[in-house]
Amino acid sequence: MAAPRIETQGVAVARGGRELLRGIDLRVDAGQVVAVAGPSGVGKSSLLRCLVRLDEPVAGRVLVDGSDAAELDPCALRRRIGLVAQAPVMLAGDVRANLAYGLEAAREEDLREALEATGLPPELHDRDARELSGGEAARVAVARALTRDPGALLLDEPTAALDRDSAAPIEALVRDLAERGLGVLVVTHDDAQAERLADERVEVRRP
Amino acid sequence: MTQVAVAGGLVVVAAVLSRIGRLGVERELVVAAVRAAVQLAAVGALIALVFEYAGLAAVFVALMLATATFTAGRRLAGVPDATLRSGLAIAAGTATGLGPLLVTGAFDTTPRELVPVAGILTGGAMVAASVTGRRLAEQAADELAVIETRLTLGVRVREALAPAVRRAAVTGLIPVIDQTKNVGLVTLPGTFVGLVLGGASPAEAARVQLVVLLSLLAVQVVAALAVARLVVAGLTAPGERVVPPTRPGPSRTAGSRPRWRRRP
Repeated sequence: MAAPRIETQGVAVARGGRELLRGIDLRVDAGQVVAVAGPSGVGKSSLLRCLVRLDEPVAGRVLVDGSDAAELDPCALRRRIGLVAQAPVMLAGDVRANLAYGLEAAREEDLREALEATGLPPELHDRDARELSGGEAARVAVARALTRDPGALLLDEPTAALDRDSAAPIEALVRDLAERGLGVLVVTHDDAQAERLADERVEVRRP
Repeated sequence: MTQVAVAGGLVVVAAVLSRIGRLGVERELVVAAVRAAVQLAAVGALIALVFEYAGLAAVFVALMLATATFTAGRRLAGVPDATLRSGLAIAAGTATGLGPLLVTGAFDTTPRELVPVAGILTGGAMVAASVTGRRLAEQAADELAVIETRLTLGVRVREALAPAVRRAAVTGLIPVIDQTKNVGLVTLPGTFVGLVLGGASPAEAARVQLVVLLSLLAVQVVAALAVARLVVAGLTAPGERVVPPTRPGPSRTAGSRPRWRRRP
Protein backbone atom coordinates (compact mmCIF):
# COMPACT_ATOMS: atom_id res chain seq x y z
CA MET A 1 0.00 0.00 0.00
CA ALA A 2 1.27 3.49 -0.81
CA ALA A 3 2.68 5.17 2.31
CA PRO A 4 0.31 7.82 3.61
CA ARG A 5 1.56 11.22 4.66
CA ILE A 6 0.70 11.75 8.32
CA GLU A 7 0.45 15.28 9.65
CA THR A 8 -0.65 16.83 12.90
CA GLN A 9 -1.69 20.47 13.10
CA GLY A 10 -1.69 22.04 16.54
CA VAL A 11 -2.68 18.78 18.22
CA ALA A 12 -3.25 18.77 21.98
CA VAL A 13 -3.75 15.55 23.91
CA ALA A 14 -5.11 14.93 27.38
CA ARG A 15 -5.42 11.93 29.68
CA GLY A 16 -7.90 11.73 32.51
CA GLY A 17 -8.93 15.33 31.88
CA ARG A 18 -5.34 16.59 32.26
CA GLU A 19 -3.76 18.25 29.23
CA LEU A 20 -0.41 16.67 28.44
CA LEU A 21 0.79 18.03 25.12
CA ARG A 22 -0.33 20.98 23.08
CA GLY A 23 0.49 22.60 19.75
CA ILE A 24 2.11 19.53 18.25
CA ASP A 25 2.94 19.92 14.55
CA LEU A 26 4.67 17.05 12.89
CA ARG A 27 4.80 15.35 9.53
CA VAL A 28 5.84 11.85 8.50
CA ASP A 29 6.44 11.07 4.83
CA ALA A 30 7.06 7.79 3.05
CA GLY A 31 10.51 6.31 3.70
CA GLN A 32 11.17 8.65 6.60
CA VAL A 33 11.86 7.98 10.27
CA VAL A 34 10.57 10.72 12.54
CA ALA A 35 11.31 10.56 16.26
CA VAL A 36 9.15 12.15 18.92
CA ALA A 37 11.51 12.58 21.87
CA GLY A 38 10.74 13.76 25.37
CA PRO A 39 10.58 12.68 29.00
CA SER A 40 8.39 9.83 30.25
CA GLY A 41 4.81 10.68 31.13
CA VAL A 42 4.68 13.74 28.91
CA GLY A 43 1.98 12.31 26.63
CA LYS A 44 3.92 10.79 23.74
CA SER A 45 1.96 7.53 23.84
CA SER A 46 -1.31 9.47 23.99
CA LEU A 47 -0.21 11.33 20.86
CA LEU A 48 0.30 8.03 19.00
CA ARG A 49 -3.11 6.83 20.19
CA CYS A 50 -4.66 9.96 18.69
CA LEU A 51 -3.04 9.26 15.33
CA VAL A 52 -5.00 5.98 15.03
CA ARG A 53 -8.09 7.33 16.82
CA LEU A 54 -7.78 5.19 19.96
CA ASP A 55 -8.11 8.61 21.63
CA GLU A 56 -9.35 11.87 20.19
CA PRO A 57 -7.14 14.99 20.38
CA VAL A 58 -8.62 17.76 22.55
CA ALA A 59 -7.47 20.34 19.99
CA GLY A 60 -5.97 20.42 16.51
CA ARG A 61 -6.27 17.99 13.62
CA VAL A 62 -4.68 14.78 12.44
CA LEU A 63 -4.43 14.57 8.66
CA VAL A 64 -3.73 11.45 6.65
CA ASP A 65 -2.91 12.24 3.02
CA GLY A 66 -4.61 15.57 3.59
CA SER A 67 -7.88 14.07 4.90
CA ASP A 68 -9.01 14.66 8.47
CA ALA A 69 -8.46 11.36 10.33
CA ALA A 70 -11.66 11.98 12.30
CA GLU A 71 -13.60 11.48 9.05
CA LEU A 72 -11.86 8.27 7.98
CA ASP A 73 -13.11 4.78 8.81
CA PRO A 74 -11.18 3.96 12.00
CA CYS A 75 -10.65 0.29 11.10
CA ALA A 76 -9.27 1.10 7.66
CA LEU A 77 -7.10 3.82 9.23
CA ARG A 78 -5.64 1.35 11.75
CA ARG A 79 -4.77 -1.12 9.02
CA ARG A 80 -3.10 1.62 7.05
CA ILE A 81 -1.16 3.00 10.01
CA GLY A 82 0.04 0.23 12.34
CA LEU A 83 0.55 1.00 16.03
CA VAL A 84 2.99 -1.13 18.00
CA ALA A 85 2.58 -0.54 21.73
CA GLN A 86 5.41 -0.11 24.19
CA ALA A 87 4.69 -3.47 25.80
CA PRO A 88 3.15 -5.35 22.87
CA VAL A 89 0.34 -7.69 23.89
CA MET A 90 0.41 -11.10 22.29
CA LEU A 91 -3.06 -12.52 21.63
CA ALA A 92 -3.91 -16.07 22.68
CA GLY A 93 -2.66 -18.77 20.31
CA ASP A 94 0.47 -19.28 18.28
CA VAL A 95 2.47 -16.72 16.31
CA ARG A 96 0.59 -17.60 13.12
CA ALA A 97 -2.75 -16.84 14.79
CA ASN A 98 -1.38 -13.47 15.91
CA LEU A 99 -0.13 -12.59 12.44
CA ALA A 100 -3.41 -13.59 10.80
CA TYR A 101 -5.71 -12.02 13.42
CA GLY A 102 -8.53 -10.04 11.85
CA LEU A 103 -7.52 -10.90 8.27
CA GLU A 104 -10.21 -12.52 6.17
CA ALA A 105 -7.95 -14.58 3.95
CA ALA A 106 -4.39 -14.61 5.22
CA ARG A 107 -1.97 -16.12 2.72
CA GLU A 108 0.73 -18.31 4.25
CA GLU A 109 3.31 -16.64 2.02
CA ASP A 110 2.42 -13.13 3.31
CA LEU A 111 2.66 -14.27 6.92
CA ARG A 112 6.08 -15.83 6.31
CA GLU A 113 7.33 -12.72 4.52
CA ALA A 114 6.18 -10.46 7.35
CA LEU A 115 8.02 -12.63 9.85
CA GLU A 116 11.16 -12.65 7.70
CA ALA A 117 11.03 -8.86 7.27
CA THR A 118 11.40 -8.55 11.03
CA GLY A 119 14.32 -11.00 11.07
CA LEU A 120 12.45 -13.90 12.64
CA PRO A 121 12.70 -17.49 11.37
CA PRO A 122 9.59 -19.19 9.92
CA GLU A 123 9.86 -21.93 12.58
CA LEU A 124 8.51 -19.37 15.03
CA HIS A 125 5.06 -19.67 13.41
CA ASP A 126 3.97 -22.53 15.63
CA ARG A 127 5.32 -21.18 18.93
CA ASP A 128 2.85 -20.07 21.61
CA ALA A 129 2.92 -16.29 21.22
CA ARG A 130 2.66 -15.73 24.96
CA GLU A 131 5.89 -17.63 25.59
CA LEU A 132 8.09 -15.44 23.39
CA SER A 133 10.97 -13.39 24.82
CA GLY A 134 10.58 -9.60 24.98
CA GLY A 135 12.70 -9.11 21.85
CA GLU A 136 10.79 -11.77 19.89
CA ALA A 137 7.42 -10.36 20.98
CA ALA A 138 8.49 -6.86 19.87
CA ARG A 139 9.34 -8.22 16.41
CA VAL A 140 6.19 -10.33 16.14
CA ALA A 141 4.18 -7.21 17.01
CA VAL A 142 5.83 -5.37 14.12
CA ALA A 143 5.27 -8.37 11.82
CA ARG A 144 1.62 -8.50 12.91
CA ALA A 145 1.20 -4.86 11.90
CA LEU A 146 2.97 -5.58 8.58
CA THR A 147 0.50 -8.36 7.64
CA ARG A 148 -2.13 -5.62 7.26
CA ASP A 149 0.05 -4.10 4.49
CA PRO A 150 0.31 -0.71 6.20
CA GLY A 151 1.90 2.37 4.69
CA ALA A 152 3.20 3.68 8.01
CA LEU A 153 4.11 2.34 11.45
CA LEU A 154 3.96 4.04 14.83
CA LEU A 155 6.38 2.50 17.31
CA ASP A 156 5.99 3.38 20.97
CA GLU A 157 9.32 3.07 22.84
CA PRO A 158 10.26 0.01 20.76
CA THR A 159 13.34 -0.82 22.83
CA ALA A 160 12.41 0.46 26.29
CA ALA A 161 11.72 -3.01 27.66
CA LEU A 162 14.73 -4.66 26.01
CA ASP A 163 18.38 -5.13 26.99
CA ARG A 164 21.09 -3.56 24.83
CA ASP A 165 21.71 -6.76 22.82
CA SER A 166 18.04 -7.02 21.84
CA ALA A 167 17.65 -3.27 21.23
CA ALA A 168 20.28 -2.88 18.48
CA PRO A 169 18.56 -5.25 16.00
CA ILE A 170 15.22 -3.49 16.62
CA GLU A 171 16.82 -0.16 15.75
CA ALA A 172 18.22 -1.74 12.59
CA LEU A 173 14.72 -3.02 11.82
CA VAL A 174 13.29 0.50 12.14
CA ARG A 175 15.76 1.83 9.57
CA ASP A 176 15.09 -1.16 7.33
CA LEU A 177 11.32 -0.54 7.41
CA ALA A 178 11.87 3.06 6.28
CA GLU A 179 14.14 1.84 3.50
CA ARG A 180 11.30 -0.42 2.37
CA GLY A 181 9.29 2.79 1.88
CA LEU A 182 7.23 2.91 5.07
CA GLY A 183 6.81 6.11 7.03
CA VAL A 184 7.93 5.37 10.61
CA LEU A 185 7.14 7.45 13.68
CA VAL A 186 9.14 6.40 16.74
CA VAL A 187 8.40 7.63 20.22
CA THR A 188 11.37 7.52 22.57
CA HIS A 189 12.55 9.01 25.85
CA ASP A 190 16.14 8.28 24.78
CA ASP A 191 17.71 11.30 23.03
CA ALA A 192 20.65 9.27 21.78
CA GLN A 193 18.29 6.78 20.16
CA ALA A 194 16.35 9.58 18.49
CA GLU A 195 19.64 10.91 17.19
CA ARG A 196 20.73 7.51 15.82
CA LEU A 197 17.43 6.61 14.19
CA ALA A 198 15.62 9.64 12.96
CA ASP A 199 15.69 11.73 9.82
CA GLU A 200 13.75 14.31 11.78
CA ARG A 201 13.14 14.90 15.47
CA VAL A 202 10.28 16.51 17.28
CA GLU A 203 11.04 17.43 20.89
CA VAL A 204 8.09 17.49 23.25
CA ARG A 205 7.86 18.72 26.83
CA ARG A 206 5.18 19.47 29.37
CA PRO A 207 3.04 22.50 28.49
CA MET B 1 -40.31 -21.15 63.66
CA THR B 2 -37.41 -23.45 64.57
CA GLN B 3 -36.80 -23.95 60.83
CA VAL B 4 -36.44 -20.19 60.23
CA ALA B 5 -34.20 -19.78 63.29
CA VAL B 6 -31.85 -22.52 62.08
CA ALA B 7 -31.74 -21.03 58.57
CA GLY B 8 -31.10 -17.57 60.05
CA GLY B 9 -28.22 -19.05 62.04
CA LEU B 10 -26.75 -20.40 58.81
CA VAL B 11 -26.79 -16.87 57.35
CA VAL B 12 -24.76 -15.70 60.35
CA VAL B 13 -22.29 -18.53 59.69
CA ALA B 14 -22.09 -17.48 56.01
CA ALA B 15 -21.43 -13.85 56.98
CA VAL B 16 -18.67 -14.86 59.43
CA LEU B 17 -17.07 -17.07 56.77
CA SER B 18 -17.27 -14.19 54.26
CA ARG B 19 -15.43 -12.02 56.79
CA ILE B 20 -12.75 -14.64 57.46
CA GLY B 21 -12.37 -15.32 53.71
CA ARG B 22 -12.20 -11.55 53.05
CA LEU B 23 -14.98 -11.77 50.47
CA GLY B 24 -16.45 -8.48 51.67
CA VAL B 25 -20.08 -9.57 51.09
CA GLU B 26 -21.15 -9.88 54.77
CA ARG B 27 -23.45 -6.90 54.59
CA GLU B 28 -24.95 -8.05 51.31
CA LEU B 29 -25.64 -11.53 52.73
CA VAL B 30 -27.46 -10.15 55.74
CA VAL B 31 -29.41 -7.61 53.68
CA ALA B 32 -30.38 -10.37 51.22
CA ALA B 33 -31.58 -12.59 54.08
CA VAL B 34 -33.62 -9.84 55.75
CA ARG B 35 -35.12 -8.80 52.43
CA ALA B 36 -36.06 -12.39 51.62
CA ALA B 37 -37.83 -12.72 54.99
CA VAL B 38 -39.77 -9.47 54.63
CA GLN B 39 -40.63 -10.05 50.97
CA LEU B 40 -41.81 -13.64 51.48
CA ALA B 41 -43.93 -12.59 54.45
CA ALA B 42 -45.49 -9.82 52.34
CA VAL B 43 -46.07 -12.11 49.35
CA GLY B 44 -47.59 -14.73 51.66
CA ALA B 45 -50.08 -12.14 52.85
CA LEU B 46 -50.78 -10.66 49.40
CA ILE B 47 -50.75 -13.65 47.08
CA ALA B 48 -54.34 -14.66 47.76
CA LEU B 49 -55.46 -11.17 46.71
CA VAL B 50 -53.18 -11.16 43.66
CA PHE B 51 -54.63 -14.49 42.50
CA GLU B 52 -58.08 -13.04 42.93
CA TYR B 53 -57.78 -9.81 40.88
CA ALA B 54 -56.26 -9.66 37.37
CA GLY B 55 -55.37 -5.96 37.72
CA LEU B 56 -53.39 -6.64 40.85
CA ALA B 57 -51.64 -9.55 39.11
CA ALA B 58 -50.52 -7.23 36.28
CA VAL B 59 -49.09 -4.80 38.83
CA PHE B 60 -47.35 -7.69 40.55
CA VAL B 61 -45.73 -8.90 37.30
CA ALA B 62 -44.63 -5.33 36.48
CA LEU B 63 -43.13 -5.07 39.97
CA MET B 64 -41.21 -8.30 39.43
CA LEU B 65 -39.80 -7.01 36.14
CA ALA B 66 -38.83 -3.67 37.71
CA THR B 67 -37.13 -5.32 40.69
CA ALA B 68 -35.21 -7.70 38.39
CA THR B 69 -34.18 -4.74 36.24
CA PHE B 70 -32.81 -2.70 39.16
CA THR B 71 -31.08 -5.73 40.69
CA ALA B 72 -29.29 -6.60 37.44
CA GLY B 73 -28.63 -2.90 36.73
CA ARG B 74 -26.73 -2.59 40.01
CA ARG B 75 -24.55 -5.54 39.02
CA LEU B 76 -23.59 -3.66 35.85
CA ALA B 77 -22.53 -0.52 37.70
CA GLY B 78 -19.95 1.32 35.61
CA VAL B 79 -21.69 0.58 32.30
CA PRO B 80 -23.57 3.64 30.96
CA ASP B 81 -27.38 3.33 31.29
CA ALA B 82 -26.93 0.01 33.08
CA THR B 83 -30.51 -0.15 34.33
CA LEU B 84 -32.05 0.47 30.92
CA ARG B 85 -29.80 -2.13 29.30
CA SER B 86 -30.59 -4.71 32.01
CA GLY B 87 -34.31 -4.06 31.70
CA LEU B 88 -34.32 -4.53 27.93
CA ALA B 89 -32.36 -7.79 28.18
CA ILE B 90 -34.60 -9.18 30.95
CA ALA B 91 -37.76 -8.17 29.08
CA ALA B 92 -36.48 -9.79 25.87
CA GLY B 93 -35.61 -13.01 27.70
CA THR B 94 -38.87 -13.20 29.64
CA ALA B 95 -40.99 -12.45 26.55
CA THR B 96 -39.20 -15.21 24.63
CA GLY B 97 -40.41 -17.79 27.12
CA LEU B 98 -43.70 -16.33 28.26
CA GLY B 99 -45.06 -15.43 24.81
CA PRO B 100 -45.22 -18.93 23.30
CA LEU B 101 -46.34 -20.53 26.60
CA LEU B 102 -49.33 -18.19 26.87
CA VAL B 103 -50.20 -18.01 23.16
CA THR B 104 -50.31 -21.79 22.78
CA GLY B 105 -52.30 -22.15 25.96
CA ALA B 106 -49.58 -24.24 27.64
CA PHE B 107 -50.28 -22.05 30.67
CA ASP B 108 -53.43 -20.20 31.49
CA THR B 109 -53.51 -16.39 31.61
CA THR B 110 -55.28 -16.56 34.96
CA PRO B 111 -53.27 -14.86 37.72
CA ARG B 112 -52.86 -18.19 39.52
CA GLU B 113 -50.80 -19.57 36.59
CA LEU B 114 -49.41 -16.38 35.04
CA VAL B 115 -47.82 -14.89 38.17
CA PRO B 116 -45.67 -17.89 39.21
CA VAL B 117 -44.55 -18.70 35.65
CA ALA B 118 -43.71 -15.05 34.87
CA GLY B 119 -41.80 -14.90 38.17
CA ILE B 120 -39.70 -17.95 37.42
CA LEU B 121 -38.88 -16.79 33.88
CA THR B 122 -38.08 -13.22 34.97
CA GLY B 123 -35.85 -14.55 37.74
CA GLY B 124 -33.99 -16.72 35.23
CA ALA B 125 -33.55 -13.82 32.83
CA MET B 126 -32.29 -11.64 35.69
CA VAL B 127 -29.62 -14.13 36.73
CA ALA B 128 -28.39 -14.63 33.15
CA ALA B 129 -28.32 -10.87 32.47
CA SER B 130 -26.59 -10.00 35.78
CA VAL B 131 -23.86 -12.61 35.54
CA THR B 132 -23.20 -12.21 31.81
CA GLY B 133 -23.26 -8.41 31.89
CA ARG B 134 -21.09 -8.10 34.96
CA ARG B 135 -18.54 -10.64 33.74
CA LEU B 136 -18.35 -8.84 30.39
CA ALA B 137 -17.87 -5.43 32.03
CA GLU B 138 -15.16 -6.86 34.30
CA GLN B 139 -13.33 -8.38 31.36
CA ALA B 140 -13.54 -5.14 29.37
CA ALA B 141 -11.83 -3.37 32.29
CA ASP B 142 -9.27 -6.10 33.04
CA GLU B 143 -8.34 -6.90 29.45
CA LEU B 144 -8.33 -3.43 27.96
CA ALA B 145 -4.78 -3.82 26.64
CA VAL B 146 -5.73 -7.00 24.75
CA ILE B 147 -8.94 -5.43 23.42
CA GLU B 148 -7.10 -2.32 22.22
CA THR B 149 -4.44 -4.50 20.61
CA ARG B 150 -7.19 -6.13 18.55
CA LEU B 151 -8.57 -2.69 17.66
CA THR B 152 -5.16 -1.49 16.46
CA LEU B 153 -5.15 -4.49 14.12
CA GLY B 154 -8.17 -3.02 12.38
CA VAL B 155 -11.18 -4.95 13.72
CA ARG B 156 -14.42 -3.42 15.00
CA VAL B 157 -15.22 -3.15 18.71
CA ARG B 158 -17.77 -5.94 18.41
CA GLU B 159 -15.14 -8.32 17.08
CA ALA B 160 -12.51 -7.14 19.57
CA LEU B 161 -14.94 -7.95 22.41
CA ALA B 162 -16.26 -11.21 20.89
CA PRO B 163 -14.06 -13.56 22.98
CA ALA B 164 -15.08 -11.70 26.17
CA VAL B 165 -18.75 -11.91 25.16
CA ARG B 166 -18.44 -15.65 24.59
CA ARG B 167 -16.78 -16.28 27.96
CA ALA B 168 -19.23 -14.04 29.81
CA ALA B 169 -22.30 -15.66 28.24
CA VAL B 170 -21.01 -19.17 28.95
CA THR B 171 -20.42 -18.20 32.60
CA GLY B 172 -23.93 -16.74 32.75
CA LEU B 173 -25.50 -19.89 31.31
CA ILE B 174 -23.62 -22.59 33.22
CA PRO B 175 -26.10 -22.62 36.16
CA VAL B 176 -29.22 -23.14 34.01
CA ILE B 177 -27.53 -25.75 31.83
CA ASP B 178 -26.27 -27.69 34.86
CA GLN B 179 -29.60 -27.33 36.62
CA THR B 180 -31.43 -28.74 33.59
CA LYS B 181 -28.93 -31.57 33.13
CA ASN B 182 -29.07 -32.63 36.74
CA VAL B 183 -32.73 -32.11 37.55
CA GLY B 184 -34.06 -35.03 39.54
CA LEU B 185 -30.52 -36.33 40.14
CA VAL B 186 -29.03 -33.50 42.18
CA THR B 187 -31.85 -31.00 42.55
CA LEU B 188 -35.61 -31.14 42.97
CA PRO B 189 -36.60 -27.68 41.77
CA GLY B 190 -39.18 -25.47 43.46
CA THR B 191 -41.99 -25.87 40.96
CA PHE B 192 -41.93 -29.66 41.26
CA VAL B 193 -41.72 -29.66 45.05
CA GLY B 194 -44.39 -26.97 45.36
CA LEU B 195 -46.85 -28.77 43.12
CA VAL B 196 -46.36 -32.10 44.89
CA LEU B 197 -46.75 -30.46 48.31
CA GLY B 198 -49.84 -28.71 46.95
CA GLY B 199 -51.44 -32.03 46.08
CA ALA B 200 -50.59 -32.52 42.38
CA SER B 201 -49.53 -35.98 41.22
CA PRO B 202 -45.74 -36.40 40.78
CA ALA B 203 -46.27 -37.02 37.05
CA GLU B 204 -48.22 -33.78 36.65
CA ALA B 205 -45.61 -31.90 38.72
CA ALA B 206 -42.80 -33.34 36.58
CA ARG B 207 -44.53 -32.26 33.36
CA VAL B 208 -44.94 -28.66 34.52
CA GLN B 209 -41.38 -28.59 35.84
CA LEU B 210 -40.06 -29.83 32.49
CA VAL B 211 -41.94 -27.09 30.62
CA VAL B 212 -40.49 -24.45 32.95
CA LEU B 213 -36.94 -25.78 32.73
CA LEU B 214 -36.92 -26.04 28.95
CA SER B 215 -38.39 -22.56 28.60
CA LEU B 216 -35.73 -21.21 30.96
CA LEU B 217 -32.99 -22.43 28.60
CA ALA B 218 -34.33 -20.17 25.84
CA VAL B 219 -35.12 -17.31 28.23
CA GLN B 220 -31.60 -17.26 29.64
CA VAL B 221 -29.82 -17.62 26.31
CA VAL B 222 -31.81 -14.65 24.96
CA ALA B 223 -31.22 -12.57 28.12
CA ALA B 224 -27.47 -13.34 28.10
CA LEU B 225 -27.02 -12.54 24.41
CA ALA B 226 -29.18 -9.42 24.65
CA VAL B 227 -27.34 -8.03 27.66
CA ALA B 228 -23.99 -8.78 26.02
CA ARG B 229 -25.06 -6.94 22.87
CA LEU B 230 -26.30 -3.98 24.91
CA VAL B 231 -23.21 -3.81 27.15
CA VAL B 232 -20.93 -3.90 24.08
CA ALA B 233 -22.94 -1.01 22.62
CA GLY B 234 -22.63 0.85 25.94
CA LEU B 235 -18.85 0.43 26.01
CA THR B 236 -18.39 1.51 22.38
CA ALA B 237 -17.45 5.13 21.72
CA PRO B 238 -17.53 6.84 18.31
CA GLY B 239 -14.48 5.96 16.23
CA GLU B 240 -14.52 2.24 17.15
CA ARG B 241 -13.09 2.85 20.59
CA VAL B 242 -13.77 1.11 23.89
CA VAL B 243 -14.61 3.13 26.97
CA PRO B 244 -13.95 0.71 29.82
CA PRO B 245 -16.45 0.70 32.69
CA THR B 246 -15.32 1.97 36.05
CA ARG B 247 -14.42 -1.20 37.95
CA PRO B 248 -17.55 -2.65 39.60
CA GLY B 249 -17.52 -3.81 43.21
CA PRO B 250 -15.22 -3.08 46.16
CA SER B 251 -11.56 -3.99 45.73
CA ARG B 252 -10.79 -4.15 49.44
CA THR B 253 -13.06 -4.73 52.43
CA ALA B 254 -13.83 -1.57 54.32
CA GLY B 255 -11.48 -0.89 57.20
CA SER B 256 -8.72 -3.22 56.05
CA ARG B 257 -5.25 -1.72 55.90
CA PRO B 258 -2.75 -2.13 53.04
CA ARG B 259 0.06 -4.43 54.19
CA TRP B 260 2.81 -2.03 53.20
CA ARG B 261 1.58 0.78 55.42
CA ARG B 262 3.47 1.10 58.74
CA ARG B 263 1.51 0.34 61.90
CA PRO B 264 0.72 3.53 63.79
